[in-house]
Amino acid sequence: MHIPDGVLPTSVCLGGYAAAGAVTWFSLRKISQKENPREGIPKASLLTAAFLVASWIHIPVPPASVHLVLNGLLGVVLGYYAFPAILIGLFFQAVMFQHGGLTTLGVNATVMGVPALLAYYLFRLRNTFGRGSRLSTGLFGFLAGAGGIGLAAVAVFVLLVTTIPAHMDVEAERASICALTLAHIPLMIIEGVFTAALALFLQRVKPELLEGES
Amino acid sequence: MKKILRFYVVIFLSILVFPATALGHGVEIDYRTTEAIEITATYDTGEPVSEGQVIIYAPNDPSTPWATGKCDEKGRFTFTLDPSIPGTWDVQVRKAGHGGMIHIPVGGDEAAAGSTGYTTPQIILMAASVTWGLIGTALFFSRRKN
Repeated sequence: MHIPDGVLPTSVCLGGYAAAGAVTWFSLRKISQKENPREGIPKASLLTAAFLVASWIHIPVPPASVHLVLNGLLGVVLGYYAFPAILIGLFFQAVMFQHGGLTTLGVNATVMGVPALLAYYLFRLRNTFGRGSRLSTGLFGFLAGAGGIGLAAVAVFVLLVTTIPAHMDVEAERASICALTLAHIPLMIIEGVFTAALALFLQRVKPELLEGES
Repeated sequence: MKKILRFYVVIFLSILVFPATALGHGVEIDYRTTEAIEITATYDTGEPVSEGQVIIYAPNDPSTPWATGKCDEKGRFTFTLDPSIPGTWDVQVRKAGHGGMIHIPVGGDEAAAGSTGYTTPQIILMAASVTWGLIGTALFFSRRKN
C-alpha cells in the first residue's frame, strides 16, 4: 500500500504532491470553518498514532502479506481531520521506518487520504438512510471501512500497473501487482468489520465523537 | 541432383538448428576469479522477496540499468560488479510496487557487508517516541481550561 521511493516516475510524484497539497488546503479550510477547530485535535492526534502503529499489524494472505491501513476508519471518526492525520502519519512512517518514502509522500497521502474523505461522506449517509439507527451505523460503518481501503488498493493498482518501467519483466511484475491487489479483499472485510464495530461502540458510549458532522 | 541438394539443405539446417551438438567436440573453458556480491531482500515482516526483480545501476550512469536479474525464492541474488567503474553502485529490488535500494561502494572504502533498515529495538524505540509525541499532543489539546 505504501509506495516506496524509486518506484514511481518523477512526474507522478510531483502530481501526488500537487494533489495532496490541494486536498490538505481543502481539509484545513473546512476545519477552520468549524466553531472550535481545536476541538478535534486530540481525537485526530490519537488516531494518527493508531494509523502509525496499524501498519505493523500484518495479516498473511497467501502468497502475499498485507497490513492494516485504517484510512476508512480515520475518515469515519475524524471527518476532515482525516487527511492531515494521514499525511502526518505517513510522514513519520517514511522518515523513521522507511515505510513508504519522502518522494512518494504526496502520492501515498492522496491515495489513502482521498478515500478516507470519501468514506466520511459515505458514512454521513447513515443519517439520510435509516436516521442513524444501529443497523445503518453498522452497515455504513462497514461500507466506509471496506470502501476506504478498497479504493486505495485500486488507486495503487492503477498507479503501479501504468508505470512499470520497460527494463523490468513487465508480465511478472504485473502478475505480482494483481496478486497483491487481490490480497486486499480479505483486508477490506477485516477493516470494514472493525470500522463498523468501532462506529457502533462509539455510538453507544460517546455518540458526539461520531456525530458532530465535523 | 535435386536429391543431393536436398541432402545438403538438411545438413545445413541441422547445423543451424543444433549448433551446440554440431560444435560440441572441442570446448575451451577459461576461468578467472572475481568478487561476487550476494544480496538478500526481505520485507519488513522478515519474509523473503521471492522472485523479486533486481535492477543494478552503475555509478557512471544512474538512470540506465547496468544489469537486471531476478532473486530466487529466498530473496537471494548473486552478481558481480565491474571493478573498473569505482563509485557507489545502486541495486534495487522490487516486486509488486514494493522495493528498496541498497548502495554498494566499489573501490576506495569498500565494506564486506551492509544493509538497509534498522534493528528491531531501534524501531520499537522510535515507534514509542512518536506514539508518545502524538498522545502528548492529544493530552495538551484536551486539557481542561482554567
